[in-house]
Amino acid sequence: MINTQRSASGSSQSPRSPSSQPYLSVSVTDPVKLGNGVQAYISYRVITKTNFPEYQGPEKIVIRRYSDFVWLRDRLFEKYKGIFIPPLPEKSAVEKFRFSAEFIEMRRQGLDLFVNRIASHPELQQSEDLKTFLQADEETMERLRSQDTGYFKKKPADLMQIFKDVQSKVSDVVLGKEKPVEESNPEYEKLKHYIFELENHLAEAQKHAYRLVKRHRELGESLSDFGKAAKLLGACEGDALGKAFSELGMKSEALSVKLQREAHQLLMNFEEPLKDYVRAVQSIKATIAERANAFRQQCELAETMKLKEINLYDSF
Amino acid sequence: MINTQRSASGSSQSPRSPSSQPYLSVSVTDPVKLGNGVQAYISYRVITKTNFPEYQGPEKIVIRRYSDFVWLRDRLFEKYKGIFIPPLPEKSAVEKFRFSAEFIEMRRQGLDLFVNRIASHPELQQSEDLKTFLQADEETMERLRSQDTGYFKKKPADLMQIFKDVQSKVSDVVLGKEKPVEESNPEYEKLKHYIFELENHLAEAQKHAYRLVKRHRELGESLSDFGKAAKLLGACEGDALGKAFSELGMKSEALSVKLQREAHQLLMNFEEPLKDYVRAVQSIKATIAERANAFRQQCELAETMKLKEINLDKLMLTRSDKVGEAEIEYKELKAESEDSTRRFETIVRLMNEEIVRFQEQKTLDMGIAFHNFSKGQARLASSIADAWRTLLPKLEACSSS
Repeated sequence: MINTQRSASGSSQSPRSPSSQPYLSVSVTDPVKLGNGVQAYISYRVITKTNFPEYQGPEKIVIRRYSDFVWLRDRLFEKYKGIFIPPLPEKSAVEKFRFSAEFIEMRRQGLDLFVNRIASHPELQQSEDLKTFLQADEETMERLRSQDTGYFKKKPADLMQIFKDVQSKVSDVVLGKEKPVEESNPEYEKLKHYIFELENHLAEAQKHAYRLVKRHRELGESLSDFGKAAKLLGACEGDALGKAFSELGMKSEALSVKLQREAHQLLMNFEEPLKDYVRAVQSIKATIAERANAFRQQCELAETMKLKEINLYDSF
Repeated sequence: MINTQRSASGSSQSPRSPSSQPYLSVSVTDPVKLGNGVQAYISYRVITKTNFPEYQGPEKIVIRRYSDFVWLRDRLFEKYKGIFIPPLPEKSAVEKFRFSAEFIEMRRQGLDLFVNRIASHPELQQSEDLKTFLQADEETMERLRSQDTGYFKKKPADLMQIFKDVQSKVSDVVLGKEKPVEESNPEYEKLKHYIFELENHLAEAQKHAYRLVKRHRELGESLSDFGKAAKLLGACEGDALGKAFSELGMKSEALSVKLQREAHQLLMNFEEPLKDYVRAVQSIKATIAERANAFRQQCELAETMKLKEINLDKLMLTRSDKVGEAEIEYKELKAESEDSTRRFETIVRLMNEEIVRFQEQKTLDMGIAFHNFSKGQARLASSIADAWRTLLPKLEACSSS
């Protein structure tokens, strides 16, 4: 999945030499913890390799933090209505995991995926905001970030509430509860229905996938504890029996390591992609809401126009 | 483990024809729930097959309940000091599991093992109480059971307290805290030390083995939940992706069943034998306490006898008229002292034989348990690997389309 997104974007095969094919390739790397205490945060190196004329190339490196990525997502969402904006990995609510190695790595991968999906999207890659994000110096980025009165620029609690509002608003709008002004398009109806059903089932599957990870870990831990106890018994007994206990103990410990490793693999390569899929579907729902808004706006203006037209003729 | 205990007991190979070899074989079967509400209990069929002349043979069936087994254990413990009385499965403290199928089966197996170990022990199989247990009708058994003012005939809470007292008494006695009256026998010291260390480590291992069982179950449940969710997704998606989700879901559910089954196997064939081993060691600790008591008694009587001897000599010198009385007392004391010494020496002798038997049997039992554990785990791992491997080609078809 990552490979298909990261390779050269945009143009189809052409007879021109490879070096003159347009490419835009990004990687998000080297998470570093900066700041202290409550102010602490993670910064990432964003490396852009490109031959796009508008860009400073062939390579440019900038330092970005999570809220910079949020800024980019918000700007694209405002400007490119109708396009499914790639999803961001969540802001972690649980303080104590915020700086765990696993969480940081999962976030880094998610951010890398995010930027690359934008960079390989034929429309989104043309965005000025993307160029700013990939090229501007840190001070400029900070200024833009703090200026942003964007939709999501709120405290996490507010964010959750807004998101919930959006969710219910989307549901209302999509289910046509707000006003009986809705597209009568059977294909589109099918799509909306599919998206809603998909989200529910995916969330279920992802929840259980996460539990699977947890259970693998727990089984691994139990096997390790058992192995240690068996080895102690082996030391206490003599001869054949003692040897048997020791062997059992060592095998158990070795297997425990494998199980923990597998749990980690499951998390990174299976549960995380499922979560990513859920986020993508939520992004689609937001786009569905935008479409409904645009449709309603169109209808209202059409109605108002009719009334004004009638009014105009009356006055003649 | 069960097989080695259940076969013909006692005598070694002999040229006599098989049918005239003495045998005593018992099985505990068919648990049935009787009674209602709080009074409810489980009864078992105890089938005895034997050609022992003292027994009503060749086959006799009686109905027994858990407290009857407890009665037998208590009687044997009183009469055969020095012998490691086989352990009983515990009385369950948790009410709601008391009648679960798994608990009943584990208890039945434990009781079967208990009786068979007694029946195949060269000394214990001669016991009158064993014969009563295996042959008497239910009314007689009930009468004996209620008469019993035995050590353990108390409410569960009291039982725990008594057991704890025994434990600490054992520790005190064994560590020589009560009186500085202890055998100075280096071999025996080593044995006691080994038993105490063994109990701790075994209890730890058994606890973790139980957790392993639990984790297998939980993993199985998670896999089942995931499988269902994946199948729902499959129904929602179309074509290749939908098919892939469905296949994944079905595989997960199938594996979940295997995992739950392995968890059950682990419980019965591995964790339970470990628990049995713990109980056996606790029984040995009780015997160690009995030996210490016998030793102390012997020492006390020997001291008292010396004092009486000195007193007697004094009385004889003064030609007191109390001499006669004192002489009789002295003779009685001497007889008691000799009895006590004999009792102690019997315990020592028996224990020495018991240790050897215990080590051999235990090595055998644990070897079987480990074998079962490893085999079960290998089988499980193999079926898990096969299941996912056979899924791969079906998924590859999906990602290439």
